[in-house]
Amino acid sequence: MTEREMGSDEEQQWVPFKNRPEWSDVIPVEQDDGPNPVVPIAYKEQFTETMNYFRAVFKADERSPRALQLTTEAIGLNSGNYTIWHYRRLILETLEADLQNELDFTDQIAQINSKNYQLWHHRRWVAEILGANATSAELEFTKKILLGDAKNYHAWSHRQWVLKELGGWENELDYCWELLEEDVFNNSAWNQRFFVITRSPLLGGLTAMRESEVSYTLKAIVAHPENESSWRYLRGLYKNDNWSWANDPQIASVCLKVLSANNDCIFALSTLLDLIRHGFQASKELRDAVDAIRNSNLVEAESDLTKTICSLLEKLDPIRVNYWKWRKSILCEGAK
Amino acid sequence: MASEIFERDQHLTFLQMMYQLLPSPYQSQEINRLTLAYFVISGLDLLAAPDRLLDKEAVANWVLSLQAHPRSKSELNNGQFYGFYGSRAGQFPQEVNDNGALSCSVSNLASTYCAVAILKIIGYDLSSIDSESILMSMRNLQQPDGSFMPIHTGAETDLRFIYCAAAICHMLGNWSGMDKEKAKEYILNCQSYDGGFGLTPGSESHGGATYCGVISLRLMGFIEDDILSKDAESSIINVSLLLDWCLQRQAADGGFQGRPNKHSDTCYAFWIASVLKVLGGHKFIDKKALHGFLLACQSEYGGFSKFPGDYPDLYHSYYGFTAFSLLEEPGLKPLCVELGMSAIAAIGI
Repeated sequence: MTEREMGSDEEQQWVPFKNRPEWSDVIPVEQDDGPNPVVPIAYKEQFTETMNYFRAVFKADERSPRALQLTTEAIGLNSGNYTIWHYRRLILETLEADLQNELDFTDQIAQINSKNYQLWHHRRWVAEILGANATSAELEFTKKILLGDAKNYHAWSHRQWVLKELGGWENELDYCWELLEEDVFNNSAWNQRFFVITRSPLLGGLTAMRESEVSYTLKAIVAHPENESSWRYLRGLYKNDNWSWANDPQIASVCLKVLSANNDCIFALSTLLDLIRHGFQASKELRDAVDAIRNSNLVEAESDLTKTICSLLEKLDPIRVNYWKWRKSILCEGAK
Repeated sequence: MASEIFERDQHLTFLQMMYQLLPSPYQSQEINRLTLAYFVISGLDLLAAPDRLLDKEAVANWVLSLQAHPRSKSELNNGQFYGFYGSRAGQFPQEVNDNGALSCSVSNLASTYCAVAILKIIGYDLSSIDSESILMSMRNLQQPDGSFMPIHTGAETDLRFIYCAAAICHMLGNWSGMDKEKAKEYILNCQSYDGGFGLTPGSESHGGATYCGVISLRLMGFIEDDILSKDAESSIINVSLLLDWCLQRQAADGGFQGRPNKHSDTCYAFWIASVLKVLGGHKFIDKKALHGFLLACQSEYGGFSKFPGDYPDLYHSYYGFTAFSLLEEPGLKPLCVELGMSAIAAIGI
């Protein structure tokens, strides 16, 4: 494409309001930046003019189809401005507009920038009015956003709101499973999994779900022992129940399995440290496994297992060496 | 080739340019202009910029011109918030508000935090502003669950705005603006199974949310400073899990990530390190590695980017400066992590 063609394309894209016959009756209202403005912004012409016309219709409280169209343009340029969004909702209410169009509109805005709080608030406002009818559309919408960015905080937040307020829990655990199949390091999906097992009215809560969840998580840990997310999820399954944590043989057993493979064992070691802190007595097998790693890493033997684990972590996790030294030092204090 | 040192002069030049005129890409953030101003002014203060770079009187007048005022005291109970407008864009002269049907150009809690912070940084006497309007009407924003909305016309509610409310009350020296107990309950519900805090109960632990949760508890007096050297086990939050989670956020490249298994990003060197500072766990950070990561995000023209090699922006620049202050870089003032400004400004000298 030649430069000239591109230029004419751009001109076609945006016609200044002052050249639009349907706006000829409106006197734009300039921004009054006052004397000595601080951090003034070098607005572009399109931005300035659109906001000038926005101020004019806003000031007149005009709730018309053209005002609605103006908010569409203004939001496209200034999507963080909550006043424009709020005004749009007032217009929609007055016009009794079809809110299905709003779903398309927010969809388009999300394609430009989905990390915008106002967009998601607006979406929630629409879904609240549509009620349970909106459930599947909202779950699909967030799914689409998460397809592009599986850790989008706004999308997850909206999805949790939909589940809590409108329902749609039926396939949520499967959805988490799918996402973790795709990327087992996706911490957002692990978090959602925790959200589902603890809050879904269709499941029996954390205690009822623990057995099957532990078994699922152990497999994920063995496949990727370097994955912080799965270890933390495992710990979470015993939230507020340290006794079960320290006394479930499966936990010590997965530690042993990972340690015996002597590969990426930082989280296994720190988990073992945590188990012992909560009263777990390490078996000879586990002690031997720790000792073997100690030998292969040329770390000196300590007077007890927990100190040895800390020394090993100092060596294997050098970025946190001061933390592990401190953990070792508070073990000593405890022994006094 | 990245510089090996913190380029203070370049950063001062960068901030001076921003102070004069923000480039057009910032137009989409115009609603947060007070926040952008806070980054510039607090940044200049942290870098110990010469006084001549900042016209304090002009700044004070500009900030104060953005304050929303009720027409009478009775309006303070009408459900609206009378704080500070985020920007001039939607602010109309009073006569328009009086005649027009609309008064939905609304003030915002985050902007109010930034406005009060700027006034504090430039040494303005906060007792001379109408804080009663701010505090009394701020209660209208607190939700039954303890969280805060940023504006009275409706918006998302989460930990960010509890922090703003707590910081405002702290700076104004008056806690009548919020129900601390309710806010505390909400914050405690946000501590996740992994020890970090999510923005809302049930959401994923996140560096920024963890900052807002922990610092708010500290400002409200629900947790002690340097808790690790005291009785951490009896704290209302799970300190050992939180400490472990925070330290684990320092990634192999030396930078801090906001969530597990995500890339390091300049700003979390402030959000996470500040939490560690309050807990008393700052000494466990690998400072050399963090220093190296931050330098990789330093722009040769001044400022910091989110990731190494990207273009700098004001937000990441400011949190780069605060991170270097926490690393005790010469030429930077010490930081008050709780208020996000220099310690000298926070004390009010």
